[in-house]
Amino acid sequence: MSLQAVTMLVLLFPAAGATLLAGRGWRMPRTVTKIVGPGVVWASFIATLVLLFNHTFNDFYYWTWIKSGSFELPFNLVVDNLSIFMCLVITGVGGLIVTYSVGYMAHEDDPSYARFFTYMDVFIFSMLLLVLAGNFVFLIVGWALVGLSSYFLIGFWYHRPSAVLAARKAFVMNVIGDVGMILGAFVLFVGYHSLTYAGVFNSLTTLTQDSGMLELAAFLLLVGAVAKSAQIPLHTWLPDAMEGPTPVSALIHAATMVTAGVYLVGRMHPIYDVAVYAHGAVAIIGAVTALFAATIALVQTDIKRVLAYSTMSQIGYMFLAVGIGAYTAGFFHLLSHAFFKALLFMAAGNVIHAMHDEQDMRKYGGLWGQLRPTSITFLLGSLSLVGVIPLVGFFSKEQILGAAFSRGDTLAYSVWAVGLVTALLTGFYTGRMWWLAFCGKPSPERPVEHPHEAPPVMLIPVVILAILATIGGFIQTRALGFGPHLIDDFLAPANDYTAVGRQMWEEAAGAVVIGLATMALGGLLFLAAYRVYVTHAWRPWTGRLPWAQRLLERKYYFDEAYNAAFVRPLDRVADLGFRDVETEVLDGAVVGTGELAEAGAGYGSFTQTGYFRNYVLVFVASAVILAIVLLLRAA
Amino acid sequence: MGTFDVGGSQLDTSWFLLLGAILFAMGTAGVLVRRNPLIILICIELMLNAVNLTLIAFSRQLENLEGQLFALMTMTVAAAEAVVGLAILVDIFRVRDVEDVDDLSELRG
Repeated sequence: MSLQAVTMLVLLFPAAGATLLAGRGWRMPRTVTKIVGPGVVWASFIATLVLLFNHTFNDFYYWTWIKSGSFELPFNLVVDNLSIFMCLVITGVGGLIVTYSVGYMAHEDDPSYARFFTYMDVFIFSMLLLVLAGNFVFLIVGWALVGLSSYFLIGFWYHRPSAVLAARKAFVMNVIGDVGMILGAFVLFVGYHSLTYAGVFNSLTTLTQDSGMLELAAFLLLVGAVAKSAQIPLHTWLPDAMEGPTPVSALIHAATMVTAGVYLVGRMHPIYDVAVYAHGAVAIIGAVTALFAATIALVQTDIKRVLAYSTMSQIGYMFLAVGIGAYTAGFFHLLSHAFFKALLFMAAGNVIHAMHDEQDMRKYGGLWGQLRPTSITFLLGSLSLVGVIPLVGFFSKEQILGAAFSRGDTLAYSVWAVGLVTALLTGFYTGRMWWLAFCGKPSPERPVEHPHEAPPVMLIPVVILAILATIGGFIQTRALGFGPHLIDDFLAPANDYTAVGRQMWEEAAGAVVIGLATMALGGLLFLAAYRVYVTHAWRPWTGRLPWAQRLLERKYYFDEAYNAAFVRPLDRVADLGFRDVETEVLDGAVVGTGELAEAGAGYGSFTQTGYFRNYVLVFVASAVILAIVLLLRAA
Repeated sequence: MGTFDVGGSQLDTSWFLLLGAILFAMGTAGVLVRRNPLIILICIELMLNAVNLTLIAFSRQLENLEGQLFALMTMTVAAAEAVVGLAILVDIFRVRDVEDVDDLSELRG
């Protein structure tokens, strides 16, 4: 089988699974759903491995999608190291999470169970299309489809009003991004008369650059990236998206979909390398979001919301990395974040499962002894998030900070400083989450006295991810200044300057020392949270700064500001339109037409007396008049 | 031409036309003023035959057979009309007692 066909298979497996489950899923035995749902994702994973081991590097052309005059748009898929990397994350981590869902969703009835796996497979298909697409049109199609499947899955429990509202919010926010992407693609098309990556990027290297236009295109694409990756200012949908089932949060809102923005900037790096202002904006948005989300995570009490803000914060790191040009560091963090954040979400899912859907972590406490495997994996995930050596989070995060520190200009130093502060905050809020949920005495409000550990189908994927999060970092230990650097070699080979984009500067000698110091401080803050939240030896900082606590609990009033700035004015406009335009003008016109016809018919019906003689009279009189007229005209 | 030979004396075409017109006017007046459905049907027959007379008179005058052809056609239509009209009347009489056509005014708007 040709590699071209294998590439197609990567896409077709989840598509076929989704089609089968959508059409027949609820009528087939549940076992079929259990096998097909995760099975197709693993099949895709194997197909991706085939591509990986064959060193596939090609722009596969399948057929012409649109042909109009001199314009031609092919359906083509780009298989290079970047898309293989992304496909491995999507199908590998995705396969683990979908397998985990087999246990997590077990309480659903058969139709809902099949529906869930249909949506999951649709999502995997869309995400693979997004990363494999070889032109802007199919990029946007995949981009919109992941937004759609995210909408489906956030609103999976559609009988909950809060879930429906959250789904709608996510969809609207994502559509803002989609519009940005489409406009960006238009700008590039106007400039280069091509919509394929190859066409646009080749023109970039040969034509004289119109950097104004490229800046515009880059900023518009950035709008899409920001919306999809929940960065400021289009971030408010992600915390609400936690209304979805926990595997959804793990897969879509932590490991894969929300990192699409990072992929986009990496894929579009020839544009961002020219559009320096837009490129700088990526770094600034990432740094600001990283800090901003980490501060909010300090006061959240819902365990999934803490993880959601932590996700925003970590994606901020990735934006920061690709924004300063350290692409491979950003993608390494994408991989490591997929490991440890999916792990944290699924371990949290186990806890929520055991706690009968209670998500307030102040009502947990003392789970360490009772849910030992989940606790150990959660601790590994937490330490990886904090960035403790030798877990994967340390290597990826410190590589980003080291790259920023070493580049040595004002922008890089600024985002490095912000990233450093964020790393310390991360230590503290992760510690707070860990100690509150798992240590100390069981909370008196805890819903379950003796919780049960999750079944093996939910535990094994978590354990696999925990192993990956523990030893995965050793594939690239640049943060220590020596050792392997497989990710860098894979994504940006030394002899290939057209790949994902190479880091153009050497690491500074001090970066390693500072990285280790950051880790030490973050770790100390992790431990400090123990004295604050478990032994209560230290008063929590919130007592001293009540206004800051209120500010953070209200999430910097972003929702309120958006409500005041957009939602309520639009409501008023809609109200006005309804009251004055719809009911008065439009209804008036419609009802008026009916009333006019009715009145006309009322008057007209007076002529219909029903008397035979009247009709005859009219008939005869008309004939006479007609005869007279004809005679007069003839005369 | 323009004259008819009737028993040795010549008669002008206009007399036949005049007779047709008088018969037609009588039929029309009957349809307009009489209320008995049967009479109205008879009056309609009268109108049709007045027209036949006119057609034949012109046919004779112009030495053109089309007029006679039309007359034959009219008779066919008249027969059909009489059949349908009488059938409707018989049906109405069966259901209820109708004295004049003004009783049949259900189609009033």
